[in-house]
Amino acid sequence: MHKITVEHSKKLGENTFSTTLDNGLKVYICKKDGYKKKIGLFGTKYGSVINDFVNITNGKRTKVPDGIAHFLEHKLFEKEGANALDLFSKMGVSSNAYTSFDQTVYFFETSEKFEESIEMLVKLIKEPYFTDENVAKEQGIIGQEISMYDDDPTFMVYFNALRAMYHKNPVRIDIAGTIESISHITKELLYTCYNTFYSPQNMFFIVVGDVDVDSTIELIENNIKKYESKNIPNTEVVTYSEDEPKDIVQKEIVQNMDIYLPQLCVGYKLDVVKGKDIVKNECIIDIISDMYFSKQSDFFEKEYNEGKVNESIDIQYEGSNTFSHVIISTTSTKIDEVGNDIVEYIEKIKNEPIDEELFETIKRKKIGELILLSDNLTVSYRRIIDSILNNTDVYSDIELIENISVKDIKDFLNLLSEDKRVTSKIISK
Amino acid sequence: MKIYKENIEKFKSIYISYNFTVDVKDTKVYSYYAVLASLMAKSSQKYKTQKEIEKYLNFLYGSNFDVNIEKFGDLYNIEFRMEFINKEFIPSNEDLLDKVLNFLEEMIYHPATWSEDNIEREKQFIIERINQRKDEKLKYGIQRAEELLCKGEPFGTYLYGETDTVESIDYDILKNQYNELINNSCVTVILSGNLKGYEDIDEKISDIFSKYMKNETTLEELSYNKKTDKEFVYEEVKEYQDTTQSVLSLGLRIKNCTLKDFYILNVYNAILGTTPTSKLFQNVREKESLAYTVRSRYYRFKDIIVIFAGINKQNYEKALDVINQQLDDIKNGNILEIEFKSAKDSLLADLLEWEDSKIAMAKMKIANLLTLKSADISIEDMRNGISAVTLDDVINVANRIEVEKVFLLGGNDNA
Repeated sequence: MHKITVEHSKKLGENTFSTTLDNGLKVYICKKDGYKKKIGLFGTKYGSVINDFVNITNGKRTKVPDGIAHFLEHKLFEKEGANALDLFSKMGVSSNAYTSFDQTVYFFETSEKFEESIEMLVKLIKEPYFTDENVAKEQGIIGQEISMYDDDPTFMVYFNALRAMYHKNPVRIDIAGTIESISHITKELLYTCYNTFYSPQNMFFIVVGDVDVDSTIELIENNIKKYESKNIPNTEVVTYSEDEPKDIVQKEIVQNMDIYLPQLCVGYKLDVVKGKDIVKNECIIDIISDMYFSKQSDFFEKEYNEGKVNESIDIQYEGSNTFSHVIISTTSTKIDEVGNDIVEYIEKIKNEPIDEELFETIKRKKIGELILLSDNLTVSYRRIIDSILNNTDVYSDIELIENISVKDIKDFLNLLSEDKRVTSKIISK
Repeated sequence: MKIYKENIEKFKSIYISYNFTVDVKDTKVYSYYAVLASLMAKSSQKYKTQKEIEKYLNFLYGSNFDVNIEKFGDLYNIEFRMEFINKEFIPSNEDLLDKVLNFLEEMIYHPATWSEDNIEREKQFIIERINQRKDEKLKYGIQRAEELLCKGEPFGTYLYGETDTVESIDYDILKNQYNELINNSCVTVILSGNLKGYEDIDEKISDIFSKYMKNETTLEELSYNKKTDKEFVYEEVKEYQDTTQSVLSLGLRIKNCTLKDFYILNVYNAILGTTPTSKLFQNVREKESLAYTVRSRYYRFKDIIVIFAGINKQNYEKALDVINQQLDDIKNGNILEIEFKSAKDSLLADLLEWEDSKIAMAKMKIANLLTLKSADISIEDMRNGISAVTLDDVINVANRIEVEKVFLLGGNDNA
């Protein structure tokens, strides 16, 4: 029997159990009593920003084409010609997979076929099946996916902001790559990436739902064991990233598209932080968003009254071991004015005292929000994935948000530096 | 006013859906209601601005409030929604119910006196909404197929109406429309979530809100599909847009549709194009690599189905052929046992999982009231309905379904 650790959130009345299997795979179970749906996720700490690493099978440094992590996701979710989505669907189970900058995750959602789904998910991930033919076919499907993103102004305005900020970091490249880059992907390269990043100690398995903890761990372990002989040596993954200069690439990117409503992103490049500080920055931005940009802020009210902004002004923090930035985004027919207003406003609030009364009521709201969100299973597994990638306790966000101070807010605002600011706009043709 | 409760104690919160359902005679009111709903979501007599509303919601532990407009077939629905935490889960066990209900009453029944500035601003935002329709290509392609199929019917009008109508709106129009909404629409309140400790919640709601009721129409009495015997006119419509990808959408008409077809059509639609085992996904995407997105959608209020796909313009004819082949295959009974079974299994699983969502439960209730004329239909009843569908049922219904409209939002040629 494995040693099981329990993490508990009193606020949410929720427990997450975790253990490490003999082969190094971490297993997490978040228990949600009374829910019909059970979600199983099998993921790896490997995403689009990793394209330069030591090939685990021969010890040589290897560079791979952009978009290969996402391509691998597509191909792994396929079994001898059958799409995994279809294999699950034939059992009446829904499934999907996604690739982001730093993770690839495969998951199913089921109410009645839990055991069979675990078996299928492990089988799919543990038995890769790549052929020249199925690689070629996927280039067509992913080509359509890339075209879909090319036409999506929300997607383009965001990636253009990243491209304006980063010189070298692969975060500047679309997760799916380009039609050109994916044309260089071969089955051999896919196996190299698979062998390197899909080893047990680089992966995690998460279950959320009303399940029995011990028997679920046993179920996962028994399925994993079937493929033990095929396991790749438990060597730590070695990746390389080019040194990213602290400055930005360019102040502004403006792109024309056949759209009506222009879109804006204002980005601030920040110094990289690690672990718990990433989570803390996310919590701080969450509060800044409510205080300074939400519908209860003076700024939103002003922009709205002037007819410039209708929907919302969003602000988010994104951070990993290699990148760190804040992005403020909105849509408006008066995009240039709104852009200038945001920049002026950021400079202004840096020097203003913080409304402490507002700060306290927003913390009250945040606690309520966490409780409201806990009615949704998705939130539970997102929190676990974040804790794995940031190497923090599962419920560290709740503790952090309670302890954020007025000074934290002030200090963070002063990190948003004018000379590391970029502006990205999509305007109508 | 009718009040329905769904008590599900695994949740920590309660969702209130307060609906005004309107029988639409002239679709001009779509624009009126769109502007009215925006104004009502942002102000009342007591809470003059969005800022004041949001600040009060902080005080209610981040309770959610918003106003949603949608079409139920030919009916228009304005929904005031709130979500708040059950006292058992709030630090110090503070009970928010009275405050939440008073807030809801304030927002609905004590509207602000909208200034000309406020009205003009909301009008501009709604006009922007209408003008930006084409920015979301797939959605637009789907809407155009709906509109082509339901031309001249309330459902065939865009949710926000037309810009000219929005331009014409003034205070008097809005005030009249507000009175019309309050006095002449059907009010349905649905509560879902953890009602433990709130056993008398319906009485409380009744105490506060019944004094405002002037109209006793119920949802069951409303007709959501007005025109069922339409002339069948095949049409292909193309529209150019400067994009990489093109959107192909097909509008399908279900002929002689009756209430008992409901479960069968769900199964038909799942076989056709809602799951990865479906004919569209397997053939258009997996076998022919013609699309990344390809799906079908069944509209229970309008007896129509829309198929949509993101394709290369040069593959237009081929995609159309492959899609038509799938429709013919179902008609001819070329349905594999596994296609049939997995379609049903996926519907059965979806139904079960609705119980994990407060919103899904509320939506199910209101849709069942409208179409099946009952609020007492349980998830189990619906599962039984799906289970009872036979392969012959599906083939029979398939032979009453024809492609009537084809729409292409065309992008550039060689993408």
